[in-house]
Amino acid sequence: MDDIRIVLGSLRYKTATDTNLSIPTPLVQNTKNLEEFDRSIDVNLVQIFDDERQKSTTFRPVCKFQVLFNNSYTGATNYEPLENNLYYINETALTLKQCGASLNSVQWEGFPQYDEFDFIRSDYNVSGYTVPIPSTATPPLQPMVHVDFVARSASTYNWNHFVSYPYKNIDKVMNYYDGTNPLTPSLVWNAVDGIPFFVKIDDSTGASIANGITPNPLLEGGNPIIRFKCPVKHGLLESEFVKIKLSSGYVNTFQVFSFGDGLPGTDEYIFNIFNIGYSASIFIDGDTGTFKRIINYENPNDTTSKYYVIQHKIITDVNDAVLVNAGFEKNIFGTKKKFESPVYTPNNVKRVSIKENAQSYTLSFNKDIDVSELRDNQKRPISELYITTIWKGYFGLTFGSVDNNGNDVGLKQGFDFNLSPVDNLFNTPQPWWEGNNVESNFVDSNNNPYPIGYYNTPYGTVNGAPIDFTYLKSLKSGDTINGNFCEWNDYEQKERVISEMYHKFTFNSDLFDMSLMDDNNNQLGYYYKPNRRMKIRGFSDYIETGSINSMAGVPDYSYFSTTYNSFIWRDLYTYGFNDGLGNGVDYPFLNGKHYPYENFIFRIIPEGTNYIESNLNNYATLYGAAQPTKDNCE
Amino acid sequence: MGRLNQQKTIVNNNSYKFTLPKGDDKYINIPIEIKWDFLGQGDAVEEYQQNVVEDIVGFPGDFEVLRFAHAPYSSDTKTDIKYNFHFFSDLQPDSNGNLVPTVPVNPSTLVTTAPSNYWVTSYVPEGFTETEIYYYVKSFTKSFFKLDFYDSKDTITQTNYFTVILPVQQGFTVSASTSPYKPSVQIKIPSFKLDYVGDKEGFFLYWLRNKKFLNISKFYMTAKFFDARLGVFVKMTNTPQSNITSKFMFDPEIYFYYEVRLNYNEKTYEVWDNSVRRGTSVPIKWYEYINP
Repeated sequence: MDDIRIVLGSLRYKTATDTNLSIPTPLVQNTKNLEEFDRSIDVNLVQIFDDERQKSTTFRPVCKFQVLFNNSYTGATNYEPLENNLYYINETALTLKQCGASLNSVQWEGFPQYDEFDFIRSDYNVSGYTVPIPSTATPPLQPMVHVDFVARSASTYNWNHFVSYPYKNIDKVMNYYDGTNPLTPSLVWNAVDGIPFFVKIDDSTGASIANGITPNPLLEGGNPIIRFKCPVKHGLLESEFVKIKLSSGYVNTFQVFSFGDGLPGTDEYIFNIFNIGYSASIFIDGDTGTFKRIINYENPNDTTSKYYVIQHKIITDVNDAVLVNAGFEKNIFGTKKKFESPVYTPNNVKRVSIKENAQSYTLSFNKDIDVSELRDNQKRPISELYITTIWKGYFGLTFGSVDNNGNDVGLKQGFDFNLSPVDNLFNTPQPWWEGNNVESNFVDSNNNPYPIGYYNTPYGTVNGAPIDFTYLKSLKSGDTINGNFCEWNDYEQKERVISEMYHKFTFNSDLFDMSLMDDNNNQLGYYYKPNRRMKIRGFSDYIETGSINSMAGVPDYSYFSTTYNSFIWRDLYTYGFNDGLGNGVDYPFLNGKHYPYENFIFRIIPEGTNYIESNLNNYATLYGAAQPTKDNCE
Repeated sequence: MGRLNQQKTIVNNNSYKFTLPKGDDKYINIPIEIKWDFLGQGDAVEEYQQNVVEDIVGFPGDFEVLRFAHAPYSSDTKTDIKYNFHFFSDLQPDSNGNLVPTVPVNPSTLVTTAPSNYWVTSYVPEGFTETEIYYYVKSFTKSFFKLDFYDSKDTITQTNYFTVILPVQQGFTVSASTSPYKPSVQIKIPSFKLDYVGDKEGFFLYWLRNKKFLNISKFYMTAKFFDARLGVFVKMTNTPQSNITSKFMFDPEIYFYYEVRLNYNEKTYEVWDNSVRRGTSVPIKWYEYINP
């Protein structure tokens, strides 16, 4: 009706007369029946189940832990409760030594028993250690006991378990020691600067330089190249680019020419660029720097990778975790135990001591995890939960040292490239783990070390003062911890783990004397991986793009490319869908909740398991074992 | 639509202008077009559909069970729960003149006069010898205590929602002799201390974590002993019959039950008897009931 214009007849033209006009303007009432498919539906249980499943945002994660532990360090102690409960070594000699010696003059030697590391302590009935010995004095004195065992805490004395999720990305200072100088880090860089490298432009070595041999330029197929060695996998592909930043501050982008130095296993750690004759003042042999990966140099805004350390947020409390023995499952390594004859014990009590055990554990949580409000470190809906395990060490056999400022040294953290010792004898950890290195402290969101708790017992003294037994105070919901060193590329919408986070704890040297190996500032210890991924949703293998003119269907977590003027994202697969590439998830859904499940292997790793192959005079000069690669014959 | 009774030119509907002839009433259709529709009709239909489907097939209920542990006591330092089961015995002198529990020959007669110390925490009055107990013969190891949990004490309307089994392999031991020619041995007695570690079978109660389906915070617990030697159940009371005035005609609601209170927030339970918490420093005591 808007386009109709009615003009009075006499005004239409000069001699025109008025005429009656009639315009049928109906009172329209649009009533319509609901369409058939709107009025009736088929009740399809499969469909209803799937609707409920897709709608639910509540999770009840369950997992099984298989603990692998090699009890590796022996020590000596005359702290009575511990001394009476070691897995003894040299007991015959010590028994002879004990004869005629004064009380406490002989330190018995052995391994701390497995209960000191187990997920659930079972030494709840050890007199003097976990069960008080009542005083016979008048008036009665304090009962003699190390820790009056509380059965409810059996599963939280040593380790605490939480659910966490990747919360945000942070920067961290990182050090890498390649063993050339045990005391000085070979590489120091910030996580956000990318992946570090050493520059190699010729075939010189320390020995060749010392002998005055003139180095030859590096060649590949007759082409001069510049080689970059990384302590972690570079993650580059052929025809990609690297934005290199050298120690001098020189920054430029180069195309990758090739990978590796011709030796097996080096392709993932070494990349080369074509040397078209760059000035010798730019690329210096032995120089260091960092690089960022660029997929397309014409579009560096979208295709340059970002590097960061993930920060996890904990969303459960200690008492939310329900840890129980896993049925009848044992690991293949079995139990190592022995009978301690009463003659060969300091307190002349017979018992069976256990060095290693094989029990597996099942972990679930009292608390339902609702992920509807949560976003991951890329501001996407949560697709992964993490089972976080933290060493607490309530029995006080670990920690106990202080740094140069008198602050307690608690749990330490680092990355897998920090695990290798810096000498051939495997008894010198990297200086990264020194008590004085604040960068390796286990810290909260404000970069403050998580607090250490203390208690004393009626037993033993150090320098006339009661021994401080130290432990890590339990974390709680809302706390944050650091996670893996990762790479993210907006163009690919994909995260890659560059290096995994590890924690380390060491023995309290006031209590457990490891002799030469207990340099108080940098002891040998045990490592473990705190965060274990539990996938709860899958992102698509393909990448979706959407125009700004058609916003329907564009998820709120998509990345907007100013270059392409479009949105980029990966679709979230529905629950139960598997694309055949392992990207989907399909785990039980019942009670209106998702029940994701994972089997985890939890390794408590002694020092020296990871090593730098160059220290073994092996062919690879990089961190990490050189993996055999498949050649064309295979 | 409006009815016009005027002989004038009217202006209607914004810019429309009509000249009307004099004379008869005229009618004009005023184009007030009404296209109305429910706002969000599609959503409403979907919601209605969802409600109907829910009415038909129900909603996803939460039937997950959770473990409830015995609530801490003694300033939160202890969590164990103690059960003592007493069997009715006939105390007879041994060769040294000491009264020892034996299997009663005619229990229904004896119970009318027996004092409370005739109920003892031992499997011997039930007919198991020390040797059978020590060597774990099948008739002993296949025996068990059965704790039933009801929603009410009314035997007519009550429902047994779950059961806990306490195997005889658990429990404390006492010194006993299996032969005058052998050293004494340790044999099991029906006295249990259950906790997170050690003897823990029967320590946790597994019940619905969500009260939406069954809102029960209080259960009533009864106890029976299954005697695999005879293949019979032995019912238990919370008081020895010697202390009950009318030994066979008493109110079962008073003497056959303990009250079990669940705490859904803490995921714990407590056992109560007449406003006194039991199972802590004072054990939960069960006594064999002798039929007349």
